[in-house]
Amino acid sequence: MDGLTAAEQREFESRMQKKQMKEFMGMFSHLVSHCFDSCVDDFTTKSLIQRETGCVSRCVKKFMAGSERISQRFQEGQTQMMAQPPPGR
Amino acid sequence: MFGGFGRPQPSSAEKIAAAEAEMDLVTDMFNKLQQACMKKCIPREYREGELNKGEGVCIDRCAAKFFDVQMKVSELLQQEAQAKGAGGGMGFGGM
Repeated sequence: MDGLTAAEQREFESRMQKKQMKEFMGMFSHLVSHCFDSCVDDFTTKSLIQRETGCVSRCVKKFMAGSERISQRFQEGQTQMMAQPPPGR
Repeated sequence: MFGGFGRPQPSSAEKIAAAEAEMDLVTDMFNKLQQACMKKCIPREYREGELNKGEGVCIDRCAAKFFDVQMKVSELLQQEAQAKGAGGGMGFGGM
């Protein structure tokens, strides 16, 4: 991302912001699906039962914790990979 | 990035598109890594709201192996390309 002028940088950042928004919405949607699939299976009643509510809460928390850890490892991995010369050159 | 062997300078649009493509690649890789390691390391029972030690360690190792696989695949593809006499022009390495 070197060699971009200030104006180009601004354009790039604006696009990145839109992408980030899109990513977040995607993540949210995936999380809803995932926790619903994992936790909700009692259809004798219309409202969530306590077990299901607790499960969803733990599901979201655990997902976020896992995601954060993966983020950290990813950044470390990226840094390491950039520091290495590409293979075969 | 292009070395400039007498080529015309890339336009603004081209530079931004290239930066964006690179970002897309990184984001995609992250998403794949996340999906893979969550699936392999976090069971679906959700007994507690935090990562337990085993899950944490699993994630660390999963991420490390994912990057190793990436390097390996990159190397192998390059070898294939060279063997086929493509001249090794366009490298995938490093990303």
